[in-house]
Amino acid sequence: MMKKSGVVLLSLMLAVVLMLSACGKNEGNTNTGTANSGTNQEPAKEPTAENVTVTLAGWGASPEEQDLLNQTLKEFETKYPNVKVKYEVIADQYMDVIKTRLIGGEGPDVFYLDAFEAPGLIDKNVLEPLDGYVTPEFDVADFEQPMVDAFKQEGVSYGFPKDFSTLAMFYNKKDFAEAGITTPPTTWEELQADAIKLTKKEGNKTVRYGFGVAPELARQMFMIQAFGGKVSDAEGNATFASPEALKGLELVTNMHSVDKSSGEPKEVGAGWGGEMFGQGKASIVFEGNWAIPFLESNYKDLEYGTAELPTVNGTKGTMAFTVAYVMNKESKQKEAAWQLISFLTGKEGMKTWTSKGFALPTRKSVAQELGYDKDELRSAIVAGASYATPWQAGSTLPTVMSNFNNQFVDTFMGNSKLEDAMKKAEDTANKEIAAAK
Amino acid sequence: MTQASSWKKKLRNNATGYMFLLPTILVLGTFLFLPVFYSLYLSGHKVNLLGEVSYKWVGFKNFTRMAADERAWIALKNTASFALFVVPLQTAFAILLAVILNAKLRFKNFFRIVFFMPTVTSSAVLSLIFMWIYNSNGLLNRVLEFIGLHGYNWLGDPAVAMKAIMLMNIWSTAPFFMVVFLAALQDIPDSLYESAMLDGAGAWRRFISITLPLIKPATFFAVVMGIIGTFQLFDQSYIFSAGSGGPNNSTLTVALLIYQYAFKNLDFGYASALAVMLAAVIMIVTLIQRMLFAEEKLN
Repeated sequence: MMKKSGVVLLSLMLAVVLMLSACGKNEGNTNTGTANSGTNQEPAKEPTAENVTVTLAGWGASPEEQDLLNQTLKEFETKYPNVKVKYEVIADQYMDVIKTRLIGGEGPDVFYLDAFEAPGLIDKNVLEPLDGYVTPEFDVADFEQPMVDAFKQEGVSYGFPKDFSTLAMFYNKKDFAEAGITTPPTTWEELQADAIKLTKKEGNKTVRYGFGVAPELARQMFMIQAFGGKVSDAEGNATFASPEALKGLELVTNMHSVDKSSGEPKEVGAGWGGEMFGQGKASIVFEGNWAIPFLESNYKDLEYGTAELPTVNGTKGTMAFTVAYVMNKESKQKEAAWQLISFLTGKEGMKTWTSKGFALPTRKSVAQELGYDKDELRSAIVAGASYATPWQAGSTLPTVMSNFNNQFVDTFMGNSKLEDAMKKAEDTANKEIAAAK
Repeated sequence: MTQASSWKKKLRNNATGYMFLLPTILVLGTFLFLPVFYSLYLSGHKVNLLGEVSYKWVGFKNFTRMAADERAWIALKNTASFALFVVPLQTAFAILLAVILNAKLRFKNFFRIVFFMPTVTSSAVLSLIFMWIYNSNGLLNRVLEFIGLHGYNWLGDPAVAMKAIMLMNIWSTAPFFMVVFLAALQDIPDSLYESAMLDGAGAWRRFISITLPLIKPATFFAVVMGIIGTFQLFDQSYIFSAGSGGPNNSTLTVALLIYQYAFKNLDFGYASALAVMLAAVIMIVTLIQRMLFAEEKLN
């Protein structure tokens, strides 16, 4: 009896082990399968040779945007019937997920990359240089130069920008009329004066701030540069506590702590500037193109206009945000991946993708064709492209940014002096950068 | 001959035993012991996994680096103050809930379910619900204003952000320990209370002199588990601060810092060293508690 049960158990165990190893083997088989198809294709260089699947990863967006991307991908699949696109949405902590997947060898073939993370990934040598794939028809010169440069290192392109946005000033027309302001402010001094007029209090609680501001580096980098300051130097060390940088940042914090005419979204229970603006809790915000479809669908009756950001120290400035499609260096089907990238950032694909105004085209020809430079709301955003500061500053920017944000919020809330807070943030960032070397 | 067969039998018995254990050994080995030893190994190396994979032996450099790492100290301080604040309150709160449930109450089962609800709810979901409650125009501020106090920017102000997480954590973990205390309370024989009552002891006296001493083992368990749990706080401060530990590092915990170094900076060596440090701290704290507890036992 004993013996029998032992044998049964043993055979059960064996079965389980066999099953497990079989699973492992299967996986191996499919891997080598796709590898074969990739290598088979390369010498042929003929897209019609075999059916391949390219994975494309990106972060989530509104359902309307998602539909538009799916439409663009469908157009691609009709044009290249042998290439199937497997589109994956990474819902949260996009860069953490992408990096982890790249480490595990499970990275997507093509993925979104924000300009601000680009230097870090290029340094790690995990992106495929794209210059070798570019054909004359692709027409690189057609792109807005600063947006292409954001994904270049030592003259080599690692990605092509899919779209971009700068920051523009969104202002509430009704609030302006109520306060007797006829034209949007064009200088920072005017903005300060208008914001005080626009701020509304009930009792001692502010129900509407004149100016809604995001106290974070991504939105304040151009303020650091307004008086000649720099976020970091050539070695990647933080330098945002210099007197020049503080001069610009002081303008931002003073409006909150001295004038009491600006506030951050959380102070009025909003998640971000667009929401704050839509709810009528701020009369002016600096936001990008992404806020337009958001306001359109959530706050239909809001009467607002856009204008270029007010000048600081007599010069124009704003931020530019751009995202590119890049290729995984370990991709097994690089030809097909390039076909996808070249279609999505090419004239045809970009036209579909930017046709509804969720994103602005980085190609001059597409922008002209779609007429965004004459659009009532978007012309201010397009105009900023020529003088904008791209949101990028070397591979140490993530460390610099997290330390800046941490301390800047604190000083913005009035808990510490700007100079001390920035000095502390700069020191901590530089210590971390040195320790990580 | 008999000896040989008994030896054989023993071997077979042992083999059968290990066969039974095999699934557990495999699972634990792969997902528990292997990672533990691997992180010990990593903590002595400078690791680069993205791009060109390299492991460079650096000895104790990762550990000495901690001394100069301000954020590590802030994280440790935050975590310790979190534990110091949360553990006593959550234990007291759990005892209170358990005593209420142990009393002869109407609709006892209903209250049991209601009290236990926070513990069975996913902590990610709870965090999101609490973010609404803590919103500047949210429930908590409305209540505070209604009773004449002024509200806070709970999520954005460094001065109160961690307090917000503390309150939520107490509320959500106390019910788990309540169950432990409830079981302990039901083990106390009624005759003890009866005789105390005959001696003229009031309800408070009975609680202090009978209930508390008799549930001491449960209290020890609750405090130890509470400390371990609070030292490993991650999900709630991660969700509240969207992974940053801000504002101004006020919600940065050691576990969150480990996550940031490992997955944001891809510095797995240093992250592993921090993890080893956290494990050591928890072990030391637990040992101290055991010593304190054993001393009282002798008395």
